[in-house]
Amino acid sequence: MTDILQILILGLALGGVIALMGSGLSLVFGVMRIVNLAHPSLIICGAYVSYWAFKLWGLDPIATLPIAALIMAAIGVLLYRLMFESQAKSARYSEMTVLLTFALAMIVEGFLGAAFTNTQRVTSPEYATDAFFIGSLFIPKGQLYAGCVSLAIIGALTLFLNYSRLGYAIRATTQNREAAELLGVNVNLISMIAFAIGIGLAGAAGSLVSFVFSFFPAKQWEWIAMLMSVVVLGGMGSVLGTVVAALLLSVIAAFVGTWVGATWSTMTFFLALFVILLIRPQGLFGEKPELA
Amino acid sequence: MAVNLQQADASSVLEARRIHNQKLARQHDQTRATWFPLTVLGVLLALPLLQLTGNYNYLLHLVLFTASYAVMASGWNIIGGFAGYISLGHAVFFAIGGYFSGVLLARYGISSLLTAPLAGLAAAACGYIVGLITLKVRGPSFIISSIALLMIARILFDHWEFIGGANGLSLPVTDLPVQTAKLPYYYAFVLMAAFTVWATYRIKHSKFGLGLRALSKDEVKAESAGINTRFYKVLAFALSAFFVGMAGAVWGEYLTYLRPNIFLIILVSANLVLMCILGGKGTIAGPVVGAILIVAFNEIFVATLGASEINILATGFVMVLGLMFFPNGVIGTLARKGKLPRVLNWD
Repeated sequence: MTDILQILILGLALGGVIALMGSGLSLVFGVMRIVNLAHPSLIICGAYVSYWAFKLWGLDPIATLPIAALIMAAIGVLLYRLMFESQAKSARYSEMTVLLTFALAMIVEGFLGAAFTNTQRVTSPEYATDAFFIGSLFIPKGQLYAGCVSLAIIGALTLFLNYSRLGYAIRATTQNREAAELLGVNVNLISMIAFAIGIGLAGAAGSLVSFVFSFFPAKQWEWIAMLMSVVVLGGMGSVLGTVVAALLLSVIAAFVGTWVGATWSTMTFFLALFVILLIRPQGLFGEKPELA
Repeated sequence: MAVNLQQADASSVLEARRIHNQKLARQHDQTRATWFPLTVLGVLLALPLLQLTGNYNYLLHLVLFTASYAVMASGWNIIGGFAGYISLGHAVFFAIGGYFSGVLLARYGISSLLTAPLAGLAAAACGYIVGLITLKVRGPSFIISSIALLMIARILFDHWEFIGGANGLSLPVTDLPVQTAKLPYYYAFVLMAAFTVWATYRIKHSKFGLGLRALSKDEVKAESAGINTRFYKVLAFALSAFFVGMAGAVWGEYLTYLRPNIFLIILVSANLVLMCILGGKGTIAGPVVGAILIVAFNEIFVATLGASEINILATGFVMVLGLMFFPNGVIGTLARKGKLPRVLNWD
């Protein structure tokens, strides 16, 4: 019983971080119909921001989270202007943008690899290796803090989307682009803002990831499939779905990792992706019957 | 008598339909220059004669490398170019082909050059089964599922002890003298490239190819026009896996070792996509032109800049620029402007 509770707690804490990693992806897909394969590589960018801030000036990764988020959001605006704005009229928009973001992921990986080499990095603030003990249960502080901060950020995002004018506009654009435009929403500007928020969330997730997982530029390929399965299970475009799916899959992965073997825990995500695409391509909370 | 008449009618109708289908599928293009690819093939087949005058192994390696990518890119073109399903998981079939022949070579000593077609068939069988599952979804979801396929295959190959796991499998080194060591592989790849180009040409100009092009434009309309879209696209997927697997088999023996982190990386798949897009998706000459361009880029980057990270960076940049400014590729863009030189018109 304690075993099960222990695995559950570890799974939920990691699930919180994965939820934040996936939420930006989901938002960008919802508003712009872009499957952003470069998302994990941008998360790693954010992780490097926090890593170097910690290494050079000893700043706490959680404290540098807003900085990483802002830097990445600015990069997001730049990317949107340079790469995606001109694609809006393309006939094969969804395929073109997937390939473009794939190429972007390679550029970021190559750049980071050339600049910082492919060695494994991890930020090590004191709490990253510490843990709370409750009876026979132990809760790693790093994962707990990261999970809580993630859920707080996602909570703030949900409030923003549900109760601000900008949030209304973003949700309207998600639901129906043409109708939103007819009602006077500047769809292009909203897309840019949503894209910037999405990439900013990647940066924020990066700061947390930097002390939860070890990372290196080529790690993104593992994360792409993991995040995709979370986002697809949750229903692409639904932030709530992403959170539920992330917690669910990460708990399942934690059980598989303990009972079956550590190598198979990542497999959970990939197999889940296949099964979801087969059984229910629109995901748990998705509305559209088809993704394409 | 009446019965006879009817039968004659039926057969003549069938005959007329067959001719009509042929016309539909095969656009008689008078500007096509068949002599050019044949001349290129002849020159390539005669190229090893240079070995008599000195050591041109590097040149042979470059041609061989380009030919291997031409085989794989042309194979990818069947599903990616004709049917419009972008797969980023074709490295899986490359690995299946390589390991199938590699295991036969390591355990029973049968040369990959002989087992390559079998390896292709093995890859095609896997492609058929995978295709039945993943080709249900289209667009972004299909691309994601193909990446997931690659990840699953990587974990399986990394932990399958029979084929060496993550350490891979060493294959016997050829005992031919240095002058002729590359020749078997050279001829294998050049002939395979010629066969693949011919096969993609035949596929594109068959009724099957026409169906693929129809379903790439609009699957629902293609289905309602009586095309068995499910079977067509799964078959196209299996065919493209066949060529990629065949190339993987010979490539494995040429490298003399098999390892998941050489075969099962996304860069291999990305290169195939990149070649087809740069050259021109859905054209016959496109993948070949793309393969030549990418191998040339690679050699220049590696020669001048070295590190593999820079290579990834440069590949990404070329891909972005190609996608944004030449989405139809070299062949497609030139053809659209009506400036395609006759020698490159292989369609």
